[in-house]
Amino acid sequence: MNFEEFQNRARLYVLGALETDELEEFEQARKELGSQGEAFVSECYALHEAFALSLQPAKSSAALKNRLMSMVRERAQHH
Amino acid sequence: MNPERQNGIGLEADPETEVEAPPRFPAVTPPLQAGAPTDFDLMLGIQAEDPEALSQLYDRYNGIVKALILRVIHNEAEADDLLQEIFMEIWNQAKNFSPQKGKPLGWMVTLARRRAIDGLRKKQAYARAEERLQAETEQQPDAWIQNTTEDEIALGDTRVHIRRVINSLPPPQQQAIELAFFRGMSQREIAADTNTPLGTVKTRLELGLKKIYDGLKELRDEL
Repeated sequence: MNFEEFQNRARLYVLGALETDELEEFEQARKELGSQGEAFVSECYALHEAFALSLQPAKSSAALKNRLMSMVRERAQHH
Repeated sequence: MNPERQNGIGLEADPETEVEAPPRFPAVTPPLQAGAPTDFDLMLGIQAEDPEALSQLYDRYNGIVKALILRVIHNEAEADDLLQEIFMEIWNQAKNFSPQKGKPLGWMVTLARRRAIDGLRKKQAYARAEERLQAETEQQPDAWIQNTTEDEIALGDTRVHIRRVINSLPPPQQQAIELAFFRGMSQREIAADTNTPLGTVKTRLELGLKKIYDGLKELRDEL
């Protein structure tokens, strides 16, 4: 697998869209590429961030945040 | 198979790691006000079990995270439950966040997407979500496949730029990526869902993702 093919597979990989046989080939190429391959896979996860940022933010109630923060503060106190 | 379970961004435990690495590619997160703590600062605070740090991170990103959840499960009440669970998980798992693997927002989004898709599958809600999605599509244009100039005026610059990149793709490529990212579908599932040959789905995904990736690189250079 050349690096261009690896890049194509990596972008599918981070979406979880590789088929089983493709995943095995990809993992093998990833091992062979070492740090170069790892660096590219890490970069591809930025696609997740971009897709989320492409959406119009949704609103949540203040009560939801209050519940969350009560749980968080309780856990923080017990540690 | 979901790669995030094996290699989620920043999810691997690394207690020796200090939170110091700057974001790499692509720096597309919205700009902060002067003096505001960075996302990395807030993650440091959460790792030190400071509830105020989580409170600020929640204020900054709950809208984005909830929008992502809603995009997957299409149910307001379930989205609220998941939003709360996800921020609790961020609190509990913050020690496993490693800046070497990426930015806090990327880590949160990866985590939220995984939880939302898992939730969708557990409840075997595909059919129900499909009906809701269909109903919503009939009521209003898809968030990705539209030309909403008026909406875009109200959006932040970052969102507008990203949407422009995504909207530049042919609709079949957008649809394939939408199904893969927001529905967690494999190529075969997309092929079956859209009645499209598997090879065509693969080509659409590869071309579309490459264009978005390249577009984000250009965006990083512009910002």
